[in-house]
Amino acid sequence: MNILQKNIKSVKDVLTSQDILVFEFDSLNGKRFAAIYADGIADKQLLGELVVKPLRSAAQDIKLDAVKRLLASPEVKDGKEISDAIKEVSDGNAVLFVDGEKDFIIIGLKNPPGRTVAEPPTQIAVKGPREGFTEDIKTNLGLVRKRLKSDKLKIKMLKTGKKSETAVAMIYIDGVCADGLPERIEKQIASNEIDIVPDSSYVAKFISKKPRSLFKRNGTAEKPDIFCAKVCEGRVGLIVDGSPIALTVPYMVTEDLQSSEDYYALTYRSTIVRILRVLSLLVGILLPALYVSAQLFKIQLIPFQLLLKISSSVSGLPLSPSIEMFLTLFILEVLIEASIRMPNYVVLAMSVVGALVLGDTAVKAGIISTPAIIIIAFSAICLYTTPDLVETTTTLRWIFLILAGSIGPFAVVAFSAFILCYLVTEQSYGVPLMAPFAPLIKNDLYDSMVKANLYKLKNRPQAFKAKDRVRLKTGVNNGK
Amino acid sequence: MENKISVRQICFIMLMYTAVSKLILYPTVLSYESGRDLLFSALLDFAVQGVIIWAVSFLCSRTDKTFFGLIESTFGNIFARVIYGLFALFFIICAVIPFMEQKLYVHSIFYDTLPSLPLFLSVMFFTVYAACKGFRNIGRCADICLPIFAISIIFIFSMSVGEADWGNFLPVMKTPPAKVFSASLATVFRFFEPCWLLMFMGHFKYGKGDAAKITLSYVGGALIVMLFLALFYGVYGDIACSRQFAIAKISLFFPAIDLVGRIDLIALYALEIVMLFAMVINVQMCVHCFVKSTGYENRAVWSVAVNGVLVILLLTLNTKFNAVYNVWAKWMWIVFIIFANIIPLLAWALKKGGRKEEAK
Repeated sequence: MNILQKNIKSVKDVLTSQDILVFEFDSLNGKRFAAIYADGIADKQLLGELVVKPLRSAAQDIKLDAVKRLLASPEVKDGKEISDAIKEVSDGNAVLFVDGEKDFIIIGLKNPPGRTVAEPPTQIAVKGPREGFTEDIKTNLGLVRKRLKSDKLKIKMLKTGKKSETAVAMIYIDGVCADGLPERIEKQIASNEIDIVPDSSYVAKFISKKPRSLFKRNGTAEKPDIFCAKVCEGRVGLIVDGSPIALTVPYMVTEDLQSSEDYYALTYRSTIVRILRVLSLLVGILLPALYVSAQLFKIQLIPFQLLLKISSSVSGLPLSPSIEMFLTLFILEVLIEASIRMPNYVVLAMSVVGALVLGDTAVKAGIISTPAIIIIAFSAICLYTTPDLVETTTTLRWIFLILAGSIGPFAVVAFSAFILCYLVTEQSYGVPLMAPFAPLIKNDLYDSMVKANLYKLKNRPQAFKAKDRVRLKTGVNNGK
Repeated sequence: MENKISVRQICFIMLMYTAVSKLILYPTVLSYESGRDLLFSALLDFAVQGVIIWAVSFLCSRTDKTFFGLIESTFGNIFARVIYGLFALFFIICAVIPFMEQKLYVHSIFYDTLPSLPLFLSVMFFTVYAACKGFRNIGRCADICLPIFAISIIFIFSMSVGEADWGNFLPVMKTPPAKVFSASLATVFRFFEPCWLLMFMGHFKYGKGDAAKITLSYVGGALIVMLFLALFYGVYGDIACSRQFAIAKISLFFPAIDLVGRIDLIALYALEIVMLFAMVINVQMCVHCFVKSTGYENRAVWSVAVNGVLVILLLTLNTKFNAVYNVWAKWMWIVFIIFANIIPLLAWALKKGGRKEEAK
């Protein structure tokens, strides 16, 4: 058995799957080559064009260095160990063995199937860029590079997942990001060993100091413009291969109350919308609980005329207000869950069943009241004004509802105080979750609940302890 | 780090917590004792406390040490521990009336029915958690509470200001001075702010003019209370002494309430969050003192213990609020004057040791 066959056998002994293909070919002078690649994730067309075509036409006997020069691919490197060859083939690249040569050449031909760049469904903007991240890390890094051309931009590639060896790109701007923060995050990721990392949410758990907490410790971005803006403020960004959702740390709760469009729209409008989001959030979480506690414990909370309407709706209902609200919320949660999981063609039928059968018929049958449905529907709409917090807020809504139904409005207030007390204590990599409100950071208030004019945002958020604090230098007349 | 607080946060505490802790039964008691001259009684209380607040905050400009450090450098570690142990007990005494008052207030404004005590005791999951935290948490809670306090107090005041009849205060100064003075004395157990400041001493970085800022914040809190007292008596006049839970009653006559219902309850519920933080601060101070006094630093254990004591007291004294109140008003004022007034002033006599900045 010659060296070429030995090398092929070494790889095939480990990678026994049938999708690992070996393509053997000869050059004009009879020199034999073998390209090994994984079918489906390596680009065969590029292999033919950039590797096979130039080598086949080689007339003289050539050594490994000469082979490298002949290849038309820009991504070529040497390999010595068979274990490296196996890793590269698994990763989607091609490995080229040359007859008579122990070493080999790795050719970057990775092209896994994926989506094209499109607008993400959860961060739609009327104004501003519409590109969104995809599942491919290279595409995502390209989208970031396109926006941040600074030589200070640092991208560090990490691996996580024992079996999946998922690539994680840690992105930050040197001189802006706080000292030692990237190292701390890297250490945190490296300290976790898991078989597979299918999504960035796994990495989010790894980098969180309190992964069991109801409140997250990292921001997310599905659009490169948001991601780059966050990185420029002094955060560290993490793009995980296979996930269209990038992570950013440190995190503040206020960033989930902001949207990219706030920065592209009129300042006044952005401020109004942000206040609206906060109010929606409070209404979404507290309204079902307050309605139940008003009915059960403090009827004065409801205006008299409205009370008359409600009492006519609820008279004769077989369920207590708390059970009624609980049931309505349960139906809503089931409908949301089912409509996400169901195929598109069933969703229409589901909507009809949900709206007509469960809603209208249940009211007509006197099982649940109209106010309960209105309140739950409005609550659900309110919570989706801040989609990044939905997981937390929907859970909180359940807790508040249970407390309101059992203890009353005082429990709602006391639990609110508890949550505030908890949130002001918690931190994300040294940055208080409730900054810039607690602790109060005057400079950062300009981009919190209020969206100040661009010329007011001269400094990067103080909370991130950025080394270079100035982000905007205005000309003589600008900003006046 | 856990026990660091900023001057701004202390100012917020002095402004807000001073005010919210005196909006429930304090106006009723004052109007009962000194009638239309209740503002003079309050003024006397606040003037005395204001001077002590200024004295303590000015003392902070003379030393970097904590109050514990000051006692320790003068009388030794054991004596400092004893004093802190006594302060821990004092803070429990401070917490009793606010807790009992809150219970009654909560039952009144949150429930149409007469709820059982355990319903109020559900607040303990909050107080136990909050008391585990240090001064940093107290400060940040103050930061987050300020907008809630400002919005809700402005909302309530604006609903009641139009209903006040300022003629209710006439003729002025008809109440005998002795009654005005005794009203001040009977409510002195509500003033423990100088002790908070004493505990914060050495835990914040003193800057130029901070004593004035802290004192002015306290004056601001006092002004809010005085304005509230004026509105309360302006609205209710001679029957003010029978109006308990003043803050919940003051906006009842706002015309829009007939149309839109008790919208003031939304502000009252928001204000209740601030009241809970103000209520728990004595427990937090108590835990701090126990930690310093015993050297056992597990705050969670102390928090559970202190809250446990308070629960036992609340369960035992559940129906005896008037009796407890009378004891506090008639006998406990001496304890409050010693701990909240005399000891803070005596702190000036302790070895201060100078400030690091000055030494540099």
